[in-house]
Amino acid sequence: MNRFLVISGPNLNLLGTRKVSIYKESTLEEIHMRLRQKAAELGVEVDCEQYNSEGAIIDRMQQVPGNYAGVILNAGALAHYSYALRSAIGTMLVPCVEVFISNVHAREEFRHTSVIADVCVGTIAGFGANSYVLALEALVYLVGR
Amino acid sequence: MERYKIAVMHGPNLNMLGKREIGIYGGNTLEQINSQIEQEAIRLGVSAGFFQSNLEGAIIDHIHGCAGKIDGILINAGAFTHYSIALRDAIAAVKLPTVEVHISNIFKRESFRHFSIIAPVCRGQICGFGSYSYILGLRALIGILESQEME
Repeated sequence: MNRFLVISGPNLNLLGTRKVSIYKESTLEEIHMRLRQKAAELGVEVDCEQYNSEGAIIDRMQQVPGNYAGVILNAGALAHYSYALRSAIGTMLVPCVEVFISNVHAREEFRHTSVIADVCVGTIAGFGANSYVLALEALVYLVGR
Repeated sequence: MERYKIAVMHGPNLNMLGKREIGIYGGNTLEQINSQIEQEAIRLGVSAGFFQSNLEGAIIDHIHGCAGKIDGILINAGAFTHYSIALRDAIAAVKLPTVEVHISNIFKRESFRHFSIIAPVCRGQICGFGSYSYILGLRALIGILESQEME
């Protein structure tokens, strides 16, 4: 059975407690519950984690080879400037799907660029908590159960 | 009776799918992709109508025609994505939930493809998963329509 790692970046621990119009209403724990439910339906396993520090995400990514078949990454604001995260994605050797809860393209201009998008398989942005669920479906489609 | 009516639109050159640049766009023809979308639509209990044109104006006409008749739009605008302000205005005008999809990961390609002029008037974007981008896009659109119903 394939196991997938879901990583959410800085400030995403505050989901459901800040700007509701952009981030919808789900808390991160609710999103993780939906992911575990979807994983059970699909016959795969997920580990869901959140880090506010860039280095912690990089440390975790370096542990991916041999342990996970794919990664779902909501890098939060780091998506727009973290070249270190970009390099770490390259070390994982498994497909990484970039997700965003909000439609980043409809927001501030600095959010329109992702420095990690071209080292990810693809991007899913704008569908609230569902962005994560769709990303899990995408990974299972790509690498199987 | 289907829960929702979805309009699926493909822009310029997508009629050539499976025939050209297979390395980028995959070996599926547009007919095969439409049939995959159709099967997923049936599974989700929605109806899907399909449209492809190489003409910007024809796509705009088609989008206008969706107003009041269709619940949501799934669009792969092809190269128009990156420069058609008229297409963007059409999507904004009909105010229907619209999901933007791309077969390839546009961010891995030429820099002029990194920018989507329609993204701000769409609800979200899915790219990079081959023809499966359309399937994910359809599910995303149905998710939006279901959550609107709950509001």
